[in-house]
Amino acid sequence: MFRSVFRAAPSLTRVSGLRSGFVKPTFSSASRFYASSSLSKEEITTRIADVIKSFDKTASATSITANTQFSKDLGLDSLDTVELLVSIEEEFDIEFPDKVADELKSVGETVEYIASSPEAN
Amino acid sequence: MPATGASKTQILHMYKEFIRNASKIQNYNFREYFLRRARESFRANKNVENPEKISELLSEAEKDLGVLKRQSVISNMYTFDKLVVEPLKKR
Amino acid sequence: MTMTLLRGVSVFSRRVPVAGGFGYLKRADISNVVLQGRTYASAKVALAEDLTLETHTDNQAAAIEQANERAVSNPDVLDSGIHSLQHAYRESGEYGTRPIYLDMQATTPTDPRVLDTMLKFYTGLYGNPHSNTHSYGWETNKEIEQARKYIADVIKADPKEIIFTSGATESNNMALKGVSRFYKKTRNHIITTRTEHKCVLEAARAMKNEGYEITFLNVDEQGLINLEELEAAIRPETCLVSVMAVNNEIGVMQPLKEIGELCRKRKVFFHTDAAQAYGKIPIDVNEMKIDLMSISSHKIYGPKGIGAIYVRRKPRVRLDPLISGGGQERGLRSGTLAPPLVAGFGEAARLMMKEYENDSNHIKRLSDKLMNALLSIDHTILNGSADHRYPGCVNISFAYVEGESLLMALRDIALSSGSACTSASLEPSYVLHALGKDDALAHSSIRFGIGRFTTDEEIDYVIKAITERVDFLRELSPLWEMVKEGIDLNSIEWSGH
Repeated sequence: MFRSVFRAAPSLTRVSGLRSGFVKPTFSSASRFYASSSLSKEEITTRIADVIKSFDKTASATSITANTQFSKDLGLDSLDTVELLVSIEEEFDIEFPDKVADELKSVGETVEYIASSPEAN
Repeated sequence: MPATGASKTQILHMYKEFIRNASKIQNYNFREYFLRRARESFRANKNVENPEKISELLSEAEKDLGVLKRQSVISNMYTFDKLVVEPLKKR
Repeated sequence: MTMTLLRGVSVFSRRVPVAGGFGYLKRADISNVVLQGRTYASAKVALAEDLTLETHTDNQAAAIEQANERAVSNPDVLDSGIHSLQHAYRESGEYGTRPIYLDMQATTPTDPRVLDTMLKFYTGLYGNPHSNTHSYGWETNKEIEQARKYIADVIKADPKEIIFTSGATESNNMALKGVSRFYKKTRNHIITTRTEHKCVLEAARAMKNEGYEITFLNVDEQGLINLEELEAAIRPETCLVSVMAVNNEIGVMQPLKEIGELCRKRKVFFHTDAAQAYGKIPIDVNEMKIDLMSISSHKIYGPKGIGAIYVRRKPRVRLDPLISGGGQERGLRSGTLAPPLVAGFGEAARLMMKEYENDSNHIKRLSDKLMNALLSIDHTILNGSADHRYPGCVNISFAYVEGESLLMALRDIALSSGSACTSASLEPSYVLHALGKDDALAHSSIRFGIGRFTTDEEIDYVIKAITERVDFLRELSPLWEMVKEGIDLNSIEWSGH
């Protein structure tokens, strides 16, 4: 019986292809009441850099900073950029509204938006 | 992409929806397939300039997107173990 | 024993907390909707989480446990292959445990687009397509006729020539038994081949009991029939020639057009079992002069439990129905149609047309990659013709390895050593026998089935796994030792002979 409970637990969290707040313990959702994300900009930049590196079309040698532009520096076309932004969305469990996403051209702009959005984690 | 202005934005939004929904599919093989097909078909049509053709392609994509959205939800209702080629965690 | 018992209990009791948690999740989800104001996304999440524990069958821990138990209960395998089997799962625990599916000739996964088409027949479109007095019947009937057209279009037939059946087995039985029974007064001879699917061979054998004469054509070492031999076998009393389009075990394609022309010239009906070929290789029933063709839905990413038989109308082919009744399907196959299956089958056929080029290129590329890599291992042979083949079926013999033990060592890849219906027995494949392969080689053969949903990553994994484990199993084999020392195995006089 105990075993079964333990076994059920990981499968609950693992299904989170569609992640949502309410599966998590309630205390962690306290951060939702702050106006901005609890993540630091450095942390966001590092995680975005990791996403870009695992995104196979990019030149991996390029060192990624806030100034890195998706099209100019990474050589991404408009379709690639869309795909990269979706990967970043997945990484931070958020969805960029279309109007925001259309204007995101660099790592720095993306970091700013994520830092200002309370849902990001 | 020769499509300009409104239609370009529209196409990119459509592409985003395809990628978003396809990557949420739980089944590895289906997910990889629909991602691959979305990439291939949007790229294959990237030189289409005729506005009529573009709107025809967009309305076709709209229908396919409906299927993809529904099936993406269903695949998350009935799930199975991950395959031996699939990492358990994304990172 | 206690282990098994416990597991049985725990699987059952797993569901208990779910029932309790259901209400809570439901409430939380509503607030979620209000807070975020993103109704669609939240509703989607809610759906998935609500149903989580009832429907999710993923349970990594149980799978590993099961696999280990299986290995323990089979100590021989474990001892002999312990290192090899360590690779059977990537031990790091960072990867999943479900095997890669490479058995596309047995059946294919149902395409999500097909399922999407079928669902509305289980929710609202439940009318009997044969009810012609109300709109419930009409709307379903309309969908059925649309599906029939999609299915006919793939082979450039007329929709009226498509008769729905329960699958290719029924279609094959219908062709062999139905046609010959109808013409039994004047004709009593059937020609088929030795490499046909079991259901054709068995149907032919049944006709033999009814007094018909059957000729089983031989195939050459490539798996192809000889057209001259076929021509010589045709007699005035021959009513039917049945030759399969693509072989299910070795993927060899027979020369349909040449056979069709020959049969038309000699005024004999030509039936082809196209279960493995339909939608995957170009078929034109008129150009190839095909009179009857068996089609299966679940080999083209459609639902299981349905198939069709193409029956030519001009010149007309007549046959006795196997199933009598209300006269549906031109009286050839009575019984209410299953609209969800028919519509799913139709959508699957439409997709085979729509995706033909993409699928063909993808499958060919993966097949070449797999074949080149595996054939570069020493002492491996491709079974069947290299030129006349459907690339999605690759059958390779690994000399000095026992096929069953290779399959055991490959529990992370779902493969078959022959057709699904015959591989239950340890008898070597009759198809490979017909090609003149000896028992040992027939035993060491493995069939790889590649399809629309196979990925590069999977093929790379399979190549690595097979290469490693063939090496390993050969190291265990005394025969391999001798081969490496340069001893000609044929020169050895085995005791007991």
